[in-house]
Amino acid sequence: MAEVQSPLVAVKVEALVVMKIIKHCNQTFPTTATGSLVGMDIDNTLELTNSFPFPVVEMPTESHFDNAAPNPAAAAPRAKGNVAYQAEMIRMIREVNVDANNVGWYTSANMGNFVNMNVIENQFYYQKELNERTVALVHDVSRSAQGALSLRAFRLSAKFIEAFKENKFNSEELQKSNLRYQDIFDELPVEIHNSHLITSFIHQLQTPSNTGPTELPASLAALEASPFSQSSTLTPNLDNLSLSIDPFLEKNCDLLLDSIETHNTEVNNYQYYQRVLGREQQKINNWKQKRAQENATRATLKQPLLPEDEWQRLFKLPAEPSRLESMLNTRQVEQFSRQVDSFVSSTTGKMFAVKGNLLPGETAK
Amino acid sequence: MADDSFLHLARPLAPVSVGTAPTTAPLNVVIQPQAVFSILDHSLRRNADQERVIGTLLGTRSEDGGEVEVRSAFAVGHSEAEDQVEVDMEYHKQMLALHLKANPREVLVGWYATASELNTFSALIQNFYSGQGDGTWPHPAVHLTVSTEPGKDLETRAYISAPVGVTAERAADSAAFIPVPYELRYGEADKSGLEAIANAKESEERTTSLATDVEALERAIEEVISMIDRVSRYVESVIDEEAPASTAMGQFLLNALALAPKVEPADIERDFNNHIQDVLVVSYLANTIRTQMELSNRLATAQLTLGGGESANAGGEGQRNNNNNNQRGGKGGRNNNNNQRQDRAPTEEARA
Repeated sequence: MAEVQSPLVAVKVEALVVMKIIKHCNQTFPTTATGSLVGMDIDNTLELTNSFPFPVVEMPTESHFDNAAPNPAAAAPRAKGNVAYQAEMIRMIREVNVDANNVGWYTSANMGNFVNMNVIENQFYYQKELNERTVALVHDVSRSAQGALSLRAFRLSAKFIEAFKENKFNSEELQKSNLRYQDIFDELPVEIHNSHLITSFIHQLQTPSNTGPTELPASLAALEASPFSQSSTLTPNLDNLSLSIDPFLEKNCDLLLDSIETHNTEVNNYQYYQRVLGREQQKINNWKQKRAQENATRATLKQPLLPEDEWQRLFKLPAEPSRLESMLNTRQVEQFSRQVDSFVSSTTGKMFAVKGNLLPGETAK
Repeated sequence: MADDSFLHLARPLAPVSVGTAPTTAPLNVVIQPQAVFSILDHSLRRNADQERVIGTLLGTRSEDGGEVEVRSAFAVGHSEAEDQVEVDMEYHKQMLALHLKANPREVLVGWYATASELNTFSALIQNFYSGQGDGTWPHPAVHLTVSTEPGKDLETRAYISAPVGVTAERAADSAAFIPVPYELRYGEADKSGLEAIANAKESEERTTSLATDVEALERAIEEVISMIDRVSRYVESVIDEEAPASTAMGQFLLNALALAPKVEPADIERDFNNHIQDVLVVSYLANTIRTQMELSNRLATAQLTLGGGESANAGGEGQRNNNNNNQRGGKGGRNNNNNQRQDRAPTEEARA
């Protein structure tokens, strides 16, 4: 943060990193998986060239699917043991010519539910302690399973860092800084980059090895057994065309309801605070009035006056609850609704297509 | 890639040191794309004077040892001279320990080299990896070669080895490499990633940006349309007697067409309406919730212009209640979101 640099504008992810993250996140799904990213910053584009997972601390291998336990993996990037692990790993990979700069970390998400304190604190730790130019890469496992790969890069905005450092999240400070939930994250565009070798590898994967005209199959069984009917090619990935919408909607509604609950709790907390504050202020006013009256009588009796500011010692005003949690929650809900919007746009298209196809007469009208 | 076929035979074990010989039972090797990508990346990062680079393969082994799945790989530094080879064993051990910490379920399965050539050094390294102690013993170590010569196809081969050599000294630097079948396998989850990567293959800069849902859908539909076009072109040319007809192909197409469901129009209409309503309601709800929350937060922290000399908090609340009331009136209590809101509203009003 010390020197003024032009901000990062994009993130370029190597194919290797994409695959490694997918593998790691899927292995541990639905538990959160986290890992470290290494790479280089070239002309304000952060190139992520390699990655490695963080070990899951204090967790026996069998309990990977144990959701109930508090999740140590989510906090892994800033755990002490992992800082050493990361330093060690980076030292090791430097020896085999891998870019040995730590440029961020990745985490897995389920339906976009990644806006929480863990992510904020991890990224804050990275941007504050290690290197300002770091990113958090979020891979959404559930959304990727529906077709399009979901990989997004986030950074905390400078404004938010400023506020978070001093924990300025009461209403007065928020009014002053005008910080809103949209300002928490800066999202950076993500690009995927392939090396020449990988490009050539992918080309080979997709084209059948013999290029001459193929023989026509002799029978149906032969056709079904031939390599062509086995879907070995990468594209087309027809998961996109699947019409199952209910699980997605259900999951989203669940998450939304959770968010509403969080919001309610926060609002209730705030209201409680205000009630207490009001009561205390009432008490103070009463006390002040009493003291004023007393002093008035003392003045007429020519007695020495009692001090008027003693109330500061007698009464304590409650601390205002931080608004950070509700800000994050709002950001999370925004994330959900964006995601639903995007889902709806493609689903309605699909549904009208199916309808038009099955009821040809309808479309002619 | 390696489209030459071979017969896989288990050769009899060498008579020497029978007790320590690794088994050479038939073995099937499954390679995940992550491992290949790691190897290719390492190959790109080799020092300028190095012909080939080597590294360690990690993965899982099925219970009977008949199938090995190579899941990841890491690079190990080494140098080859005319008559000697040096592998950084210390590095390999440390890296392995680090890797196992993060992936407790993976084990050492073998090693890779980025040249197709097998030589004395290969045998030496192979014996190290398959040996007792640090190696894969009693299971055979898998040796994977991925040739990365410029201008040629990438060629992947998998081997296991059997010990040969009459004396112990000769046995240390020789091994009979036996090719084993392998397949490249990727899971459902990798598909979307590979698809995104494959999108970049035609572009000059070798980069691609990630597609949104709609774009991905568009691409998939275009793909299907082009496939249908291809099939109908073929069918037309068969009808015009330009291409040879095939009963099998006809049968296959007929089967595919028969998959289209026969449903009553009324049923479709009903299902369609039900589902589209679900979808739209959820979308509407999500956006309403977002707006409400934003409004509530904004009002709680808003700069006050109304309310005159009142204290900041009290004024803020008053204003906020008014707004909430207006909001609710406008939307008319239609959904559970608003119900949630109404739960809260009385408490606010009571306090105000």
